[in-house]
Amino acid sequence: MARTITLDHITKIEGHAKLRLKVDHGKVKQCHLTSTEGARYFEGIVKGRRFNEAHEITSRICGICSCAHVIAAIQAVEDALGVVPTKQTVQLRLLMTLGERIRSHATHLYFLSLPDYLGYESALAMAKKYRPELQRALDLMRCGNGMIKTLGARDLHPVSATVGGWLHLPTQEQISEMGRSLESVKRDALSTCELFNGLKFPEFQTSGNYFSLVNKKQYPALDGAFGCGNQVIEKKDYKSFIKERHEADSTANFVVKSDKRYFVGALARINNNSQLLSDDAKRMLKKSGVQLPSLNPYHNNVAQAVELVHCIDQAREICGSLIVKQEEVETIRPRAGTGVGMIEVPRGTLWHEYTLNKEGIITKANIITPTAQNLLNIQEDIRMFVPQVIKKPKKQIVLDVEKLIRSYDPCFSCSAHFLEVDWK
Amino acid sequence: MNRKVYVFGNEHLEEDSLAKKTAVLLKPLTGEVVFCRSADELLDAESPLVILDVVKGLKEVRLIPPKKIKSRSLVSLHDFDVGYVLKLMAEMGQEKDIKIIGIPEEGEPQKIAKEVEACLKNLA
Repeated sequence: MARTITLDHITKIEGHAKLRLKVDHGKVKQCHLTSTEGARYFEGIVKGRRFNEAHEITSRICGICSCAHVIAAIQAVEDALGVVPTKQTVQLRLLMTLGERIRSHATHLYFLSLPDYLGYESALAMAKKYRPELQRALDLMRCGNGMIKTLGARDLHPVSATVGGWLHLPTQEQISEMGRSLESVKRDALSTCELFNGLKFPEFQTSGNYFSLVNKKQYPALDGAFGCGNQVIEKKDYKSFIKERHEADSTANFVVKSDKRYFVGALARINNNSQLLSDDAKRMLKKSGVQLPSLNPYHNNVAQAVELVHCIDQAREICGSLIVKQEEVETIRPRAGTGVGMIEVPRGTLWHEYTLNKEGIITKANIITPTAQNLLNIQEDIRMFVPQVIKKPKKQIVLDVEKLIRSYDPCFSCSAHFLEVDWK
Repeated sequence: MNRKVYVFGNEHLEEDSLAKKTAVLLKPLTGEVVFCRSADELLDAESPLVILDVVKGLKEVRLIPPKKIKSRSLVSLHDFDVGYVLKLMAEMGQEKDIKIIGIPEEGEPQKIAKEVEACLKNLA
């Protein structure tokens, strides 16, 4: 018997997406995941703008990960201009990135993912019974928010980070306060790991390979090469390996590496760099029982919880050693060139590339988000996963498929209001 | 007693900008005004407080009972809005003394500011 399942609106993810699935006698005949977002045109919007406007404009791609776009754009422009930031600037960028990861992971884990596993429709529905857990989430989010607000001078679309430096430096007391705030939520992060380690995740293996920045010195955030195990690509060579394509009925990019699907995100980062996690993060990873490298996308939830611990530890270490010095923003002399920014953000590796003319005007831009890289992998995972659950009731199939999609923490970007499921 | 006034809205969207345009015109005696960028600022807000926000379909400035605010289900992190945060605080037993002053989508900021001041005076 043929069954067609159409999820017009996939819930509890970032942005609009739609899944069309046709199953005949237990075999998937069609599986098509599309983004139904309006086209964003950011790569076109920045063309003709000055080099120091790219990060301000592209920050607006998403309110959830605005810091990520700010830093990736700045690093790409600096790469094009040959600007090398000071150690202090790099540390401030790293702190802001860690703050955003703390905020994003805490929100995704508790408000979007956890209700699935505890059998609730939403976090609001579980608020009475799971008050301490949600309070923990709010405390972690508040800590991440506070870091971004202090460093970026705003908690959304930060304005302090700029090409060649930092416009509004935090005070030493603010950095110390940040350290205290991080210390106060460390226990919350550990409890988050314990909570997610205790959940039962479906058995499933993706066929996609895991990719993230790999870095020999530090758990990756702002620098490194793009790799999987021993396969490593330097950022300047990315176009030789990574290809984007558009589907006729989707506004999203599908991205492949050497024509094969792959995934990015917390699980990929941990698969590649677990030896660089903080001691407590390593301890929580060991307690989870997850064997690395893991190809089970549901383990991305565990990986995010482990990263919460690591991000807090790494940020505390920076706060403990950073002595804030008054530094002027470097005076930039525009020149022609092309630069790539490649950083790790909450949902995976983010790429920004800009070409500048000799006046410093942007003539070409390319942005590849983590979700664009994960999209094909999610679609093909669904194709593989559905036959395992096809005998279940429709409601359960929808939930299982949505859980799989949500485990990737996708962001189809900006204002998603789904809820309907249309069965044909 | 003056309450802190937490102002929401998006200055870049005409139909959602009037609360922010109005708030800058309020007399200093009104109390401290906080321009919010995200709804979770309410989690740290001290009680009692006032929320100033544009309410769709409203024809005049008026007090809106917090329980009348509809909250959507959280289907994306972008839905972490004022309605959701108010509902979440209530469900978690963190109810605060909150008054909401609703502002229409359209109007003359000077006139609306006067109406808001009158509203705040009645709350004091």
